[in-house]
Amino acid sequence: MIDLNNQFTQIKRRIDSEVVRRFFSDTLVQTADRLPIEIIPKDRIPSRCCIYKERALVRYRVLTLLGVDLDNDDDEFKPLGEYVKEVLEKDEPSLPLLTTIKSGCYGCPKDQYRISDACRGCFARPCMANCPKDAIVFINGQAHIQDDRCIRCGKCMEVCPFHAVVHIPVPCEEACPVNAIHKNEQGVVEVDHEKCIGCGKCVRSCPFGAIVERSELLHVLKMLKKKDKVVAMIAPAIEGQFPGTLGQIKAALKKAGFSDVFEVAKGAEVTSIREGEELVEKIEAKEGYMTTSCCSSYMELIPKHLPFLKERYSDAYSPMAYAAELCKKADPECKTVFIGPCLSKRVEAAKYRDIIDGVITFAELAAVFMALDIDVREMEAESLGDDASFQDCREYAVTGGVASCVLSRLKDPSSVKIMSIDGIDKKTVRLMNTWQKKAPDADLVEVMVCQGGCIAGPGTIVKPQVALRLRQANKAASAKKA
Amino acid sequence: MKKPKVKVRICLGTACFVQGGADLLLYNDFLDPEILADCEIEGCSCLEQCKVGGGQAPFVEINGKIYDGVTQDVFCRLLQEAVKE
Repeated sequence: MIDLNNQFTQIKRRIDSEVVRRFFSDTLVQTADRLPIEIIPKDRIPSRCCIYKERALVRYRVLTLLGVDLDNDDDEFKPLGEYVKEVLEKDEPSLPLLTTIKSGCYGCPKDQYRISDACRGCFARPCMANCPKDAIVFINGQAHIQDDRCIRCGKCMEVCPFHAVVHIPVPCEEACPVNAIHKNEQGVVEVDHEKCIGCGKCVRSCPFGAIVERSELLHVLKMLKKKDKVVAMIAPAIEGQFPGTLGQIKAALKKAGFSDVFEVAKGAEVTSIREGEELVEKIEAKEGYMTTSCCSSYMELIPKHLPFLKERYSDAYSPMAYAAELCKKADPECKTVFIGPCLSKRVEAAKYRDIIDGVITFAELAAVFMALDIDVREMEAESLGDDASFQDCREYAVTGGVASCVLSRLKDPSSVKIMSIDGIDKKTVRLMNTWQKKAPDADLVEVMVCQGGCIAGPGTIVKPQVALRLRQANKAASAKKA
Repeated sequence: MKKPKVKVRICLGTACFVQGGADLLLYNDFLDPEILADCEIEGCSCLEQCKVGGGQAPFVEINGKIYDGVTQDVFCRLLQEAVKE
């Protein structure tokens, strides 16, 4: 995955905040078609072939922010303003989650290893000796890889003393843990929605920004503008995404128009208790390992790729679902919007349409704050209420946090064996597949599809290191106060 | 007389923070310790540069002077120069 903060994320955030700003000032319909030109002015030095292509891509990004499925609804004759009008009038569900900007895709050549000019045709020739398929030949004193024999194992790259072998991946294909991405006949990217688990790794990996999520932001903003009672259900990972404390984030959300703020950590408390009870039952009945069930991409992974785990994951609902239940119980009239780091939470939320009214990401929330000139750091912190029972559940956002919350609610946690799946890639999926034959040596397996936990999710704003740093600083400050 | 420390303020307004300003908060990790010793770095409220127009977030103020589009690399270079002065 590409690190956050590059030209692509900067432009995307600008587009998002400009759209939101215009939405709130009621000028989006009239000015939407000017946006590509305003964001890519004619004196810009383009990073694609020309400014006109860059503008076209801005247009597509606006469309995906509106939730349009570019694969099926890409009418080039239709002005952006028309699309906006349609979106403002009705709410279409924005699933499947991902769509592709076909003309943005570079059509990367297939994954390959190549030997560069740095090859000195050395005498030892470790590449040749280590190639399991005899794919290396020497022509004019330099090594070459025979394409038809190469199985792309990378051995030659590992052993070359001159680092002359380069691996040229297809970033989206490489990042996808479940092979849901392939190229069509034109060599352009396609997402197989039957296989996709919504982890968003491809979105974060494509250097051209050609795979994008369809947003639900406008749907949520409409509720805010209508002055509906909208409760912001904030995922535990939100701490550290903005400069300031949770109390300040709460105040900022209210300033943005949310009627109240509900910490999903409170839902996580329920999840932890349920999972704990179930774990004890399983251990007593000697039924073998149980896995967590809070990660929504993992819950997509099971039916689509590891069906045998259906018997293994906890029956507890996710923190988001419990949080929504609690919100609706407190006020059946309220609307609930989950704000998190995750794309696949939208897939999960679709199963709870009666209690969850919308899902947006932290990055989208940042666009709202930018558009409304809200500075989290300047807010007067609001009280978070009585959080004593679920304080530790804020750690659900970090790998290891879920398991420790479950354990700390058990009578005898010392005997429980924990295993952590910290991030999923192709190799991990293969490993998990072997559990059919050989069960993992653990009672509780914590599964996080994003490495490092939710703080590394595709919808985050800052790098995980920064988030961790800010979370620790907040903790130190609150400990000092106490 | 001892040289005064270089005063550095990193804008933590939302626009700067989400467009890369947050990365600068890792200065303990990426800055040369010798330069770090000669600087006083703090996060600060919005420097209001985004509202003036012109320049690209994130903004940083070094000894009273404003710089824009400050990435980690640029930050290192600017401080190196400021410390030398």
